Amino acid sequence: MNKELEYKFISEFQKNQNVIHKVCRIYTTNQDAHNDLFQEITIQLWKAYPKFRGDSKLSTWMYRIGLNTAITLYRKSKRSVRTQDFDTVLHKIKSTDYDDTEEQQLKLMYKAIHQLSDIDKALIFLYLEDKNYKEISETIGISEVNARVKMNRIKTRLKKLLNP
Amino acid sequence: MDELDLLKKDWKRQESSYPTLNYEDIYKLIHKKSSSIVKWIFIICILEFMFWGFLNLIIPDSYLEIYEQFHLKKFMFITQGIHYAIVLYFIFLFYKNFKAISIIDNTNLLMKKILRTRKTVNYYVYYNIILYVVLSIVLNIIMFSQPEVLLETFLPENTTAENGKFISILLIVQVITLLLVCGLLWLYYRIIYGILLSKLKKNYKELETLEF
Repeated sequence: MNKELEYKFISEFQKNQNVIHKVCRIYTTNQDAHNDLFQEITIQLWKAYPKFRGDSKLSTWMYRIGLNTAITLYRKSKRSVRTQDFDTVLHKIKSTDYDDTEEQQLKLMYKAIHQLSDIDKALIFLYLEDKNYKEISETIGISEVNARVKMNRIKTRLKKLLNP
Repeated sequence: MDELDLLKKDWKRQESSYPTLNYEDIYKLIHKKSSSIVKWIFIICILEFMFWGFLNLIIPDSYLEIYEQFHLKKFMFITQGIHYAIVLYFIFLFYKNFKAISIIDNTNLLMKKILRTRKTVNYYVYYNIILYVVLSIVLNIIMFSQPEVLLETFLPENTTAENGKFISILLIVQVITLLLVCGLLWLYYRIIYGILLSKLKKNYKELETLEF
């Protein structure tokens, strides 16, 4: 593939790379797995880039490829068991922002999210990204009504986990 | 504050804590090799096409001579012709389905297309197994219904009472080989499915039950 396209892709990717980190955050629980998935999504994005026409926003296009890679194309790496759990690492730094109860709640939330199915993770991810039901249904390929029903179920499930 | 609002707030806050890759890092990343299941499915499918194609090519000439004894050469020739036409059709279908896989499709459609591609190759393998089993049975029936010719082909000098025993042994060997080959194939597909497609199938089923 030509250098010009490569340059264009990398520059665009640099500005939007957070999208991919966020997908990895939902689907993996440690740094090694995170990096692994990040790499695979980046490769998939690059492979699909020549066909990107710009009729949708680049970030929307990235959401779709990122989620598709995490749900269907990616196989968990064997290394993922060895390293320290991500949640414990991330929550060590934030003690100044939240009080103890809130921090505890967040920790439980992330733990609960990581126990969800791949599809449910995609839904909660899109919810956290403030996507509307139309976008959610188009990304996953289910009807808007079903997206709504499923989302409510996940929310109830998460809330129940925190207030048994 | 609602727990989900708290989560959303934290989610937005985390955004700034992710590492930022520079141009060099990204350049290196996009030149690495993908390990996606689509790539693996493609490689495995090509190998399967080659394996079954190759099996047909390595049948030794002496085997064909045996068929000649039973006046089956024409039958085998026609069967082969039809077989290759069918194989070509399978390769065309596989190529068409594989090309249709697009990562920009929605998740549901993408999974459907991957499974459809894989299914094409599965049908190809089923076709080969069925062909193998049916041909074995047909050929064996023809051969064993003419034991004189069979004995003459395999044991030209021997005409003693051992003949009955020889026929039984030959029959048992044929049946065992048939079962063994089928068993190995079954095991192979369990493994392939276990490694590559279990996750995909689980996710696809989840969406399917949702849409029902």
